[in-house]
Amino acid sequence: MRVATRLAGIELDDWRGRPLRLGTLWQEQPVVLVFIRHFG
Amino acid sequence: MRDRVDEIRKQGAELVIVGNGAAQFAEAFREDLGIDGPLLVDPELRAYRAAGLRRGRVEVLSPRLAGNALRALRAGFRQEGVQGDPWQLGGVFVIRPGGELAFRHTSREAGDHPNLDDVLAALAPSAPAVEEEPPANPAVRWIGRGLARIVDPAIPVSFARPGLQLRSLAFDPSDLDVDLSGRRCVVTGANSGLGYEAALALADLGAEVVLACRSLARGEEAAERIREQTGSSRVSVETIDLSDLASVREAAARLVVQPLDVLIHNAGLLPEERIETRDGLELTWATHVIGPHLLTRLLLPALEKSPEARVVWVSSGGMYTRRLNLDDPNWQAREYDGVLAYAETKRAQVVLAELWAEKLAESGIRVNAMHPGWADTPGVRSSLPGFFRLTQAILRSPAEGADTVVWLAASPRAADVSGRFFFDREPRQTHYLPWTRESEEDRRQLWQRCEAACSDAT
Repeated sequence: MRVATRLAGIELDDWRGRPLRLGTLWQEQPVVLVFIRHFG
Repeated sequence: MRDRVDEIRKQGAELVIVGNGAAQFAEAFREDLGIDGPLLVDPELRAYRAAGLRRGRVEVLSPRLAGNALRALRAGFRQEGVQGDPWQLGGVFVIRPGGELAFRHTSREAGDHPNLDDVLAALAPSAPAVEEEPPANPAVRWIGRGLARIVDPAIPVSFARPGLQLRSLAFDPSDLDVDLSGRRCVVTGANSGLGYEAALALADLGAEVVLACRSLARGEEAAERIREQTGSSRVSVETIDLSDLASVREAAARLVVQPLDVLIHNAGLLPEERIETRDGLELTWATHVIGPHLLTRLLLPALEKSPEARVVWVSSGGMYTRRLNLDDPNWQAREYDGVLAYAETKRAQVVLAELWAEKLAESGIRVNAMHPGWADTPGVRSSLPGFFRLTQAILRSPAEGADTVVWLAASPRAADVSGRFFFDREPRQTHYLPWTRESEEDRRQLWQRCEAACSDAT
């Protein structure tokens, strides 16, 4: 399965606790999606 | 990366950061680094796993760590404490509208970052798409095969996520690098769990997918999610209750009018008490065995129109514990035990798949069964809460549980095999305990029971 499809259905909270479905991020524009090792 | 946000935005893209710590750490991180774009938190590592990012002590503490740390110090970075999973590695992806992947970098050890010029170059409209899966490394595959042999006898490891992680080292990514455009697949019980993930994966590979579900509303909700995730419009819902033979006949009449390439028998349940269907059958026996048998029979004309049709039975590792029971499959003479009923019917599915494979040997229709290992599905959570609590940390995700279903349905490597029982993309023996072996007479009787039950429904 494509990485984008696997990620698209996942809903994560943003830093303020607002939920966001990942697939909406690249509906209209390209994204650079960076997974960091950890905060700090 | 944050220093080059302006360059990213000039190209019409956005920088999105995902971290695995809690939200309060994200807020501090955001303030410290002056990040003004989307910053998401993934404490359960769901997106990290879905992205295929590495995690583990060996990966983090690699020999190259010292060099990476020195480079980071020279660049002015000071590590002040870890807020999140210390053993999780990161990665960078460029994803275009429509889900096309233009860049991927999955860190091999701490401090392994991509070249930012390469990331920016991938944002150019003319930049080519990249391969979804990195090519298989023959040495890693060889090691994976060796490790798989070692973990096979250790069921808690083998059936849980670590078993798949080790065996997947031996998987060939090109197995599922297939285009299923023009193929039509029916998946029963597809609104959640393994069925949903199998339907999603098949739609992602380009197939037309029919979600055969009891509830139209839940089926439509799942279909809409699959359309959203894959961008495919060829996802539809068919209502069917496998425990109700009239419902099976009605659904089959609608499904049989077009050629069918893949039929996945996934619908399942584990009731606490004995429930008798309106056909006079015990619910589990009806849903796992008689209903799917009838559906297979009624859809044969559509399967025969496909150049290489495949039928996949989603069984369970629990079937290893039980013998085929034809003395009392409807639980009329015994005190009901839902777990035993489940295991017995899952055993019956494996035998039935073998029998169908024999019957259809000349037709070109391939029939196989599989078991998914221990997966975190809504069924396991609701029906086996004790087991779920005990094992939840090591359960496979629904997508991981569905991997072999999709492989059997789609991979060219599975095109010529029929009548086998698979686990993690490998054929397996169907008995470990001698007293679970059925006789030829048992097998003949199972077929007759199924045929008779289906005839009664006409």
